[in-house]
Amino acid sequence: MSGWFMFLATVLLLSLAGALWRVWSGPSQADRMMAAQLVGTGGVGVVLLLAAAGDWAMIDVAVVLALLAAFAAVAFVKAQTPQGAGDPEDDADG
Amino acid sequence: MTLAFDLVLCAMIVGAAICAAVAGTIFAAAVFFIVYGIFVSLAWLRLDAFDVALAEAAMGAGLTGILLLRALGRMPASEDRPGPALAPALAGAGLALALGWAFLALPESAGLGPVVRNAAPGAGAENPVTAVLLAFRAWDTLLETIVLLAALLGVWALSRDEAWGLPPGLPQRVRPDGVLAGFGRILPPIGAVVGVYLVWAGTSRPGGAFQGGTVLAAVALLVSMAGLAQAPRVTSGALRLVLVAGPLVFLGMAFIGAVLSLWQPGAAFLALPEAHAKSLILGIELMLTLSIAVTLAALVAGPPEDRA
Repeated sequence: MSGWFMFLATVLLLSLAGALWRVWSGPSQADRMMAAQLVGTGGVGVVLLLAAAGDWAMIDVAVVLALLAAFAAVAFVKAQTPQGAGDPEDDADG
Repeated sequence: MTLAFDLVLCAMIVGAAICAAVAGTIFAAAVFFIVYGIFVSLAWLRLDAFDVALAEAAMGAGLTGILLLRALGRMPASEDRPGPALAPALAGAGLALALGWAFLALPESAGLGPVVRNAAPGAGAENPVTAVLLAFRAWDTLLETIVLLAALLGVWALSRDEAWGLPPGLPQRVRPDGVLAGFGRILPPIGAVVGVYLVWAGTSRPGGAFQGGTVLAAVALLVSMAGLAQAPRVTSGALRLVLVAGPLVFLGMAFIGAVLSLWQPGAAFLALPEAHAKSLILGIELMLTLSIAVTLAALVAGPPEDRA
C-alpha cells in the first residue's frame, strides 16, 4: 500500500511542474501567484500522501503549508495597492 | 518508488532555485522563492526531519514569502531587474560543491541521534529536537532569541525622527465590508489554534517555539494587514515587555541555576533541575513563543512610518 501512495505522490509532484511553467511564463503577476498557490495546494497533497505512506506525524506540516499559503495570498493582494497599505477593492471604486 | 520520488523532488528544487536566480522580473523571482521553500520543506520530510520541515514551511515558504511580497509592494513599479550576475552564481555553485565534497568526505558514523535519544527523557522533553534546543544547547537558543531582538532594534533604528513613536509599518487602510476584512476575520482564529498547538505539541512531537511563534507572527500580520486591529506603538511599554519577556525568563532560569549551584552540587548556569525540567521547558517555550511571534511580526512590519 505504501508503494502505491509513493507512486501517487510522485505523480502529483510531477504535475506541479506545470505550475512551475506557469510561474515562469506568467504573463501577469496574478498568474504567477496563483501558480504558487497551486504548488502550495499540491504540496499539501504530497505531504498527506507521504504521511499515509510513512508517518502520520507529517500532517502538521500540511496544516502549516495550507495556512501560510493563504497568508501569502493576502500579502500579494496588499502589495497591489500603492505602498502596500491599501485595499484593492477600495481603490477599484475610487 | 521512493527513489523516483526523491529524484523528481530534487529536480523540482534545483529547477525552482535556478528559475528564481534567472527569472526576468523580481516578482517572478520572489514567487519562485516561495515555491522553492515548499519543495525544500518536502525534502526535509523525506529526510525524516519533521521539525525542520515545519520551520521551513513556516519561515521559508511562509513568512519570508510575505516579507518579499510586502517589500515588492513598496518598490517602484518598474519590472526590469539587473541581469543574472555571474560572479555570485559561480560563488554559490562553488560553495554547494565544497559542501557536497565535505559531506561525502565525512567518516561514516551514527551521529548524535542515539546519544540524544537516550538522554532526552531526563532533560524534560520527549521530542529530541526540543531537548537539544532547550536543554543540551540552551546557550545557543538563548543567544538566538537575543539576535532576533538585536535585528528588530536595527530595523527600528531606520525609522525617521518624525515617525518615531508610531506603530510599526504604515497605517493600513481597508474597506470595512470588503473581502480582505472578511478574510482577516476567518483566518486568524484558525492560525492562532495551529500556532498554539505547535508550541504545545513541541515537547513530545515535532513543533516548538520557533515554528509556533512564526505562525502566530503571520496571524498578527494578517490582523494588521486586514486593518482589524492597530499594532501597538513602538514606544509602548507593554510591547517592549513582551519583546524581552522570552529571553528575560530564559536568562532568569539560567541565573537561578547559577545561584542554586552555590549549595547544590548538580545545579549550574542554564541547567534545569531534572524534577521540574518538563514544566520549566514548557514555561520557557511559552514565553519564547510570545516574544518570537511579536518580534517576527514587528520585523516584517518594518520601522514606524507616518505617510500612507
